[in-house]
Amino acid sequence: MKKILALLLSMVMVFGLVACGAAPAAPADPAAPAAPADPAAPAAPAEPAAPTYEDMGTILWLSNLSGGAQYDATCAYLGALCEALGYEFEVCFGDPFNDAANNLLAVQNAMTDDVVGMITSQDGGLKDIMEAYPELWVAGYNCDMRSVYAADGANAACASNDHYLGTIADGYGDGFFLGNQMARLIIEGGYEKVAVINFPVFAYPNLTEADAGLRAAIAEYNATADKPIEIVGDTTTLMFEPLPDSWFLEAGRGDLDVIIGLCAGVQFVYPTMVGAMANGTCAADTKLITSGFETDPDIIADIGGDGVIAGLTVSAAENPAYGLILIDNAITGNVAEGTTNACVDSAEYVIDSVEDINNVMTKSMMGTGDAANAHLTVEEVLALCGRNNPSLTWQEIVDTFQAISVDELK
Amino acid sequence: MTEKKLNPVLSWIKLHKTEIGAYCGLLLCIVLFSIVPPLKGKSIWAPDKLATLMSNVIVMALLSVGAVFVYAMGNMDVSIGKQVGLYATIIVALGNSTGSLIPGILVSLVIAIIIGAMNGAIGELLHIHPVVSSVAFMMALGGISTVTYNGLGSRNVGLTSIDYHLFKSPWLMLAALVVEVIIITYLFNYTKYGKYAKSIGANPVAAEQSGINLVKYKVISYIIMGFCVVLAALFQMGFTGSASDSTGTGFEMNVMVALILGGMPLNGGMRSKVSCAVVGSFTLGLLAVGLPLIGVKPNQVFIIKAIIFLVVVLITCRKKSGTLPR
Repeated sequence: MKKILALLLSMVMVFGLVACGAAPAAPADPAAPAAPADPAAPAAPAEPAAPTYEDMGTILWLSNLSGGAQYDATCAYLGALCEALGYEFEVCFGDPFNDAANNLLAVQNAMTDDVVGMITSQDGGLKDIMEAYPELWVAGYNCDMRSVYAADGANAACASNDHYLGTIADGYGDGFFLGNQMARLIIEGGYEKVAVINFPVFAYPNLTEADAGLRAAIAEYNATADKPIEIVGDTTTLMFEPLPDSWFLEAGRGDLDVIIGLCAGVQFVYPTMVGAMANGTCAADTKLITSGFETDPDIIADIGGDGVIAGLTVSAAENPAYGLILIDNAITGNVAEGTTNACVDSAEYVIDSVEDINNVMTKSMMGTGDAANAHLTVEEVLALCGRNNPSLTWQEIVDTFQAISVDELK
Repeated sequence: MTEKKLNPVLSWIKLHKTEIGAYCGLLLCIVLFSIVPPLKGKSIWAPDKLATLMSNVIVMALLSVGAVFVYAMGNMDVSIGKQVGLYATIIVALGNSTGSLIPGILVSLVIAIIIGAMNGAIGELLHIHPVVSSVAFMMALGGISTVTYNGLGSRNVGLTSIDYHLFKSPWLMLAALVVEVIIITYLFNYTKYGKYAKSIGANPVAAEQSGINLVKYKVISYIIMGFCVVLAALFQMGFTGSASDSTGTGFEMNVMVALILGGMPLNGGMRSKVSCAVVGSFTLGLLAVGLPLIGVKPNQVFIIKAIIFLVVVLITCRKKSGTLPR
């Protein structure tokens, strides 16, 4: 029996290897004209002197994710963009905890001669990666790259490396502004009794800044408000474990108006909160404002309106295109005027109504995982590339990304 | 009555089927990754890929070779991952404050001796399975790591003034591994420490009745492994000149998988061999480097590794009674 099982598993393995071994994309026929961007449009004859962009190499994404809506959307989007720009697209999984050695090893394992650029969602080990591959163009995506920009950061050497092209943060590069944004949602929601839950500062220093930003904005509001907002107790720090049930038993937490989950609240706060509501330790009308995105239908149904989740901030799924544009501009020698390798803030969806979440789920790339639903379509991203629009400035590119809003889906 | 005699070749194969299975796994990887990647214009034998292979193998192999003594006794230590993290952090921290790696290495060795002695002795003295004490150490060291990095306000610490690039040399990695394998092989095969470890794994009651001091030789086995963990931590740290709160996470499972892939019996005993650690580590390393080269997507690598692991276990780890080992 075990021999048969071993044989069957061997066959599964062999077939798996054959099936999983992705066939390389058929090499473009040098003699064939490049496909037009719009299939419906007639193919215009190519300019004789215009450079052709085929077989441009491979773009690697050092991912901090291995699944979920954001991962699927990123793969679909970068895959479509890379194909349109003449690149292959590959993913390698970074260390879940951003460990430098494991990130370096992940890149080394995935590296091949044709990898020309890397979009990274991790900064751990970036200095060593760029030392090992000095010709590699690198840009960040949904990562504030603090270790690069801090003078004493572990990867500070990258800031002066001309192959480091910059990054787009996951929301705000300076967490203080995230705190301001959360405070605005509290004030607009009319909430008066608030608690804050966060991750530890050693892991997410930007979220501690956000906590400070939130408290500063609330203090400023309270100075002139008729009904001041009370922040109950100190901020609770979660060590990457769900909020304990006993949290709601502590003084002042049973009748909160809103909980601000600066941590990934959908994952770490919401389940406990729903359980506490069921057993009566949390008030039934307490709301959660947090960040992160899940496609679980039960969670989606609980966003906006009378749902538990009153506000959800999610970085635009189109962010990876920013890094790709920077890399493509560098490779093709069409660097936009004014380009710096700074960390730029990204646009965020602020989902605070049933209409918003329905629109996100049906009309956005984040919700559908379909690159065709991107705010910035493939054609629009191509138009932002220096190869197609050499007069475009870096600031105009940044402005385009920061203009993305959930309101556009209406 | 005439005794039925087997063909000598078949007899040898039957006797060594575990080793053959393990070596065949390694050979299959070598053949597969030598043939398929060139069809796609890539080569696993390119110098950079060989260096990557050594980077994949070195820490796992150093740990696995050191763990042979413990596994030969039918025990395991699940705290080695956290130990790697702790020693790497100590080496970096003391390196920054003293300007030399030596103090950090010496302190780590002292801690390794203490942890090894406790891991080896507690199980025997308290009559509990030694894995229990190693679980306690794993949790304690994890807590120490969290408190330390929380206090530092950062997830990682890096060497600031010491050049660590020497540790990136694949030749140094290879040399360190060869030296460790020679020393451990000598201790394991030609001294009483290795023979007693295997005897304890084969039958602890018989070993004790034969006069073997179980506590003493278990402690020695764990301390030998502790020294190898420090060496592995040095190379893990040297890879990027840094350590983090997650350094070493999951290494204990990698070691177990490498040893089993290499044919090490989980219940220890006389079939335990140092070569199991080397073969298993290189097999896993080849899979990590080779699978992306043949176009396997990252999220499929785990599944393929799991299937290969299961196949090898079913082939190599079966007992004569037909049951899987405990």
